[in-house]
Amino acid sequence: MGQITLSNVKKSFGNIDVLHGINLDINDGELVVFVGPSGCGKSTLLRAIAGLEKITSGEIAIDGKPVNDVTAADRGLAMVFQSYALYPHMSVRQNLAFGLENSKMPKAEIDERITEAARMLEIEPYLARRPGQLSGGQRQRVAIGRAIVRRPVAFLLDEPLSNLDAELRVSTRAELAALHARLSSTMIYVTHDQVEAMTLADRIVVLRAGKIEQVGTPLELYNTPANRFVAGFIGAPHMNFLEGTVSSVQSGNLVVALADGYQLAIPARETSLEQGARITLGIRPQHVTFGSGDKSIKAKIKLVEALGSETVLHTEVAGQKFLVVIPGQHDLASGMDIDLSLSSAPIHLFDKDGHRI
Amino acid sequence: MTAPLETASKPSAVQHLGAIALAPVRLVMGLIDRPLRALQRMTGLSGMAIFFLAPNMLIFGIFVLLPLFINFVYSTTGGSALFLPERSYVGADQYQRLFDCSNYLDPLTCQEDAFWTAVSNTFWFVVLQVTLMIGAALVTALILNRNLAARSFWRAVFFFPVLLSPVVVGLIWRWILQRQGLLNFILYPFGVDPYTWLTDRTWSFAAAVGVSLWAHMGFYALILLAGLQAIPKDLYEAADMDGTKPARVFWRITLPLLMPNLVVVIVLALIRSVQVFDEVYILTGGGPGTSTLFITQYIYETGFVSQPRNPGLAAAASILMGLVLVVLTLVQLGLGRRGEKKGKR
Repeated sequence: MGQITLSNVKKSFGNIDVLHGINLDINDGELVVFVGPSGCGKSTLLRAIAGLEKITSGEIAIDGKPVNDVTAADRGLAMVFQSYALYPHMSVRQNLAFGLENSKMPKAEIDERITEAARMLEIEPYLARRPGQLSGGQRQRVAIGRAIVRRPVAFLLDEPLSNLDAELRVSTRAELAALHARLSSTMIYVTHDQVEAMTLADRIVVLRAGKIEQVGTPLELYNTPANRFVAGFIGAPHMNFLEGTVSSVQSGNLVVALADGYQLAIPARETSLEQGARITLGIRPQHVTFGSGDKSIKAKIKLVEALGSETVLHTEVAGQKFLVVIPGQHDLASGMDIDLSLSSAPIHLFDKDGHRI
Repeated sequence: MTAPLETASKPSAVQHLGAIALAPVRLVMGLIDRPLRALQRMTGLSGMAIFFLAPNMLIFGIFVLLPLFINFVYSTTGGSALFLPERSYVGADQYQRLFDCSNYLDPLTCQEDAFWTAVSNTFWFVVLQVTLMIGAALVTALILNRNLAARSFWRAVFFFPVLLSPVVVGLIWRWILQRQGLLNFILYPFGVDPYTWLTDRTWSFAAAVGVSLWAHMGFYALILLAGLQAIPKDLYEAADMDGTKPARVFWRITLPLLMPNLVVVIVLALIRSVQVFDEVYILTGGGPGTSTLFITQYIYETGFVSQPRNPGLAAAASILMGLVLVVLTLVQLGLGRRGEKKGKR
């Protein structure tokens, strides 16, 4: 119970197409995170699954049954809103009971479910309080509790941590992961924060402008991003991109000329590239080390951020911005020239359209 | 060489106008600067606050507090003379006269039967008008809050009567309801004989209630609409996800969250309907007979119209009406404060 299938789901608001044909299978018990920049359609997609937005075309099926014409209430899903959407004039207990009372559930069972959820979320002491008397984190738990008591087929969470402060967000994130493990029910989680996506997701769905860019496990997305957008979105700080042209292609090897004419030899799986083709090299800031030699580039330091455990260098390579994260503390200053070695760095190649090569 | 320099130093038209406008301000500021500084040195900062508030307090005192006091003094005097020095002191006689009744529920047993008729009429007017007003304003606000086509147009339509002068409202409806009026003209083709709506006791009272409802409903609907729009949309979505039936959504979510606005509307409507006068006076003149005579009209007629006029009795009646309004206002303040406390929690 809890399998959700989206087939060619489209949604338009008037003339504006928000979702351009989404195809996705969400397995039972899976925690799927929709991630993407603001306006990419992730919340609209979640609301379409919830039944709060009617889709323009396509099909949404829950456990094999199409639900396009099924009301939000009858889809058996529960939603946790970004604003929590708790009823301010009701106590926490009444908030939790409200949805259950709608279905004329016996009072004894309502009480039992509330007690169980309250214990799980550690909100028992606050059951008599109103939402206005709770902290942000406590309200958040109540909102999750309201979803839990309904024992839904799947949980839909719309940026549930975005109203919490940074410290609370980290701890609540861990609790959410634990909760998912305990309930082992399907969860769809929307966020614009890629760290949340990486830490929570079984699978991540990266959305941009109403289209799915890539679906995969966090590490798949990190290690083999399908395109330049995903490569830049997943990972912090984001991946460096160096523009260059293919200057020669030999069997298994690619020589790329960077903007300043600097030549870099890269082992390439595929050599369908022709000489003179424009390509982009993607290198994660953490994969760069100090050192000269075979696969090295010259960089000029623009700014040094010493974080203690690591040092972040804002540098310029061949006239392009290049971030470097080096473990430990280093005696460096802006204006210095350094040699950076790429010998241990996986180098991602993207063609002129941004697709992975 | 000199020409470009001249154009550079010549101020633009806007600057010129600005300078002209600023000149008197500068002059006044220059004149009052020294005395004000001297005053502040004498009185201190809090004293200056009193100084700046004084003009308003003075006007409030002259046009509100002083008349209130004079009114009270009038209520303790007798005779028909208008000037206070010519009037004789009678103590609480006027009040005694107003309350001289063998059965308060039957105005005809009272010495001032017109007063008690007006009280009874006003009471029923308030009960009917406020109840219908709240209902109509709430329904209107709920409808206007929906995503209907030309929403702004409809909002304007319902608010428009509020902008009309009460006299205009009274005249419009008199033209509609009189014997050769618009209503009879419309009903005639349907076989309804022309009727004198405003000279029928029941119909004229209904007309008084209906017209004041029409004239003020938009104002209260607007307050309620503002309250409805302040309720977060996602509460309704959460209720939707929970499968809440529309009636339950209204009773359990909309109404409780609208309560602060509803209290304001109820109290304002109460106060204003107790004061009802102008549009009904133009519409029916208090008739037929005394069927639409309300307290304010009674006071006006007793004090200024009837022969011999009795300003003392009118003053006493207005003091009594003032007391009722004070009580209603205190209730509003109390409820408002309770609402505030609730909001803070």
